[in-house]
Amino acid sequence: MYDMLAALINGTLGWSWPEWALHLLSYILIVTIVLVVAPLQMLFLTYYERRVIARMQDRIGPNRVGPEGIWQPIADGVKMFTKEDIVPQAADRIVHFLAPCVVVAPTVLMFAVVPWGPGMTPVDLPTGMLFFFAISSISAVGLMMAGWASNNKFSLLGAMRAVAQMVSYEIPAVLSLIAIVMIVGSLSLNEIIAYQSGLLISNRDLAGIPDLGLGWFVFTPVGFVAFIAFFIAALAEGERTPFDIPEADSEIVAGYMTEYSGMKFGLFYLAQYVLNFLLCAITAILFFGGWQGPGVNWLYEQGITPANPTGNGLFNVLAGVLGVFYFLLKTYFFFFVMVWLRGAFPRLRIDQLMDFGWKFLIPLTLANLFSAALWVAFIRWGPAEGMLITVGWSPVLRWLAAFVVTLAINLGVYLWLTRVYAASQAERRRAELEELSATV
Amino acid sequence: MEVVVQIVFGLIALLILVAATMVVTVRNVIHSALWLITCFFGVGALYLLLEAEFLAVVQVLVYVGAVSVLILFAIMLTRQISGEGERQLNSRWPVVLAIAALLFATVMAPTLINQQWNVPPAPPLGTPEPLAGPAELGRGFVNEFLIQFQVVGVLLTVALIGAIVIAFEERARRRKVLTLAEELELKRLRARETEATTPEPVEAEPVVRETRPASER
Repeated sequence: MYDMLAALINGTLGWSWPEWALHLLSYILIVTIVLVVAPLQMLFLTYYERRVIARMQDRIGPNRVGPEGIWQPIADGVKMFTKEDIVPQAADRIVHFLAPCVVVAPTVLMFAVVPWGPGMTPVDLPTGMLFFFAISSISAVGLMMAGWASNNKFSLLGAMRAVAQMVSYEIPAVLSLIAIVMIVGSLSLNEIIAYQSGLLISNRDLAGIPDLGLGWFVFTPVGFVAFIAFFIAALAEGERTPFDIPEADSEIVAGYMTEYSGMKFGLFYLAQYVLNFLLCAITAILFFGGWQGPGVNWLYEQGITPANPTGNGLFNVLAGVLGVFYFLLKTYFFFFVMVWLRGAFPRLRIDQLMDFGWKFLIPLTLANLFSAALWVAFIRWGPAEGMLITVGWSPVLRWLAAFVVTLAINLGVYLWLTRVYAASQAERRRAELEELSATV
Repeated sequence: MEVVVQIVFGLIALLILVAATMVVTVRNVIHSALWLITCFFGVGALYLLLEAEFLAVVQVLVYVGAVSVLILFAIMLTRQISGEGERQLNSRWPVVLAIAALLFATVMAPTLINQQWNVPPAPPLGTPEPLAGPAELGRGFVNEFLIQFQVVGVLLTVALIGAIVIAFEERARRRKVLTLAEELELKRLRARETEATTPEPVEAEPVVRETRPASER
């Protein structure tokens, strides 16, 4: 943004503004864009989800307001704003008021590091990925505040469930991401995306692969396992259906949102959909190349970049449009998968959720971490690091060896874990039945 | 620029001090935990002011995201804590304050008096930042501070196992709350029991079984 503004104002218009003014203007513009885009995504996603889930349940869904019901989210928004704001008598008023803010603010802050297209990251932090997950963990505090301040047993139960779930599924999510970070060697989201250029094989792993923007991590055994584990954990963090225990409406009304009405409820709703969008986006970025796709890198190289200041600005716009298109396509596809799962699966019980997270996902991601280390060793290490087997191997052979070894480890661990897990669940079921028949 | 940094530092420091004071003076336990979170945020902001971005993010991740949630969990799961707790200051607080200040001064005064405040001169432009990024920290952990790192790892594992041992309950001694599915199962078991004990008419039996929906079996 700064480069483009500098080229426009000082170059084309010749106004010669000082540097700080350009920086200030560019940050104000970026913040405005981010704050406008976040609610718009939420509006679109609610409509999208309702239509898709309606089709899956053989209904039509919202279709009255505007063509095909496209203005339905806006009508909902107006309804939210005009509703009465009710605060329970026994509630802790200040904490009750602050809780929605504490839940929404981190989700909007997370937008700050999302790379939308080539050169289109609002704030390019070198620790972007860590920032993303650090900020997302703040909303757990907000949920606790909401649950406690409402002074309602359903709220408190919902908050407890939400936080327990978030805390225990953060571990497999972060462990599966560490595997990717180990391979890339950087926490910057832009670096992670740049690594995924190539065609089925990343051209950072194997030089000379043509760059079509398709060297995604999901095509490697390490990345595939990490993707599956991360997506399941993301479902739990976003409180999507197989894991929507915190707001199980048939058990505890609406969980921590029970005592909220009007726009405060709307803010929780907003935070939830924005978080879901961001989780889908981060899945697309880390495992499916983000904005990478055929043509984007080529277009971007023709435009104005720090490396090539004399390029044509038109190509920047083209690369940006194509990059955002690919990025949103992938993100909306993952959101579709989330809705699809909601249409297909019933809700889990809380002990099933905990068992699955702690006894299956965490061991699997730990084994995947080991595979990632082997991947780096085979691809990049030489005798200096103590890797003596691969001395004299060609890059293709190294890549093949890495692929086969990690595939064998991941597949073996997966098969073994499924057997152990199934056996332990069967044993548990048997013990429960025994106990029941003892009480008869 | 220097003045702006000073002002921002002053504001953050004020926030931290106010939050820390509130933690120990507020009556409500939950409120004091929330003030503690504010305090953690302030410390994170200080790290950010020092351009230790990684440390700031880790501060938020560990203290705000994990430790404070743990504290809130602990408070909420403890029985007999009502909203309005006991006042944490009793009538003798000035005496305690004096003793605490004296002890603190005993530790700090020699340091402050003997300190030369010889701030090293700014490094020439272009030198890499020492120990700022995750890569440098990671390298430090596996080379220079390997023993410390391992010891902390073992300690945390021991703590984890200890927590499991303390929290572990025998299946038989657990207070049982039946889920709906288990109640159904129980009903079915009871029915089977009575079926087994009471002799039933031989001919009617298969007919009754077949009319049952498949889901009930």
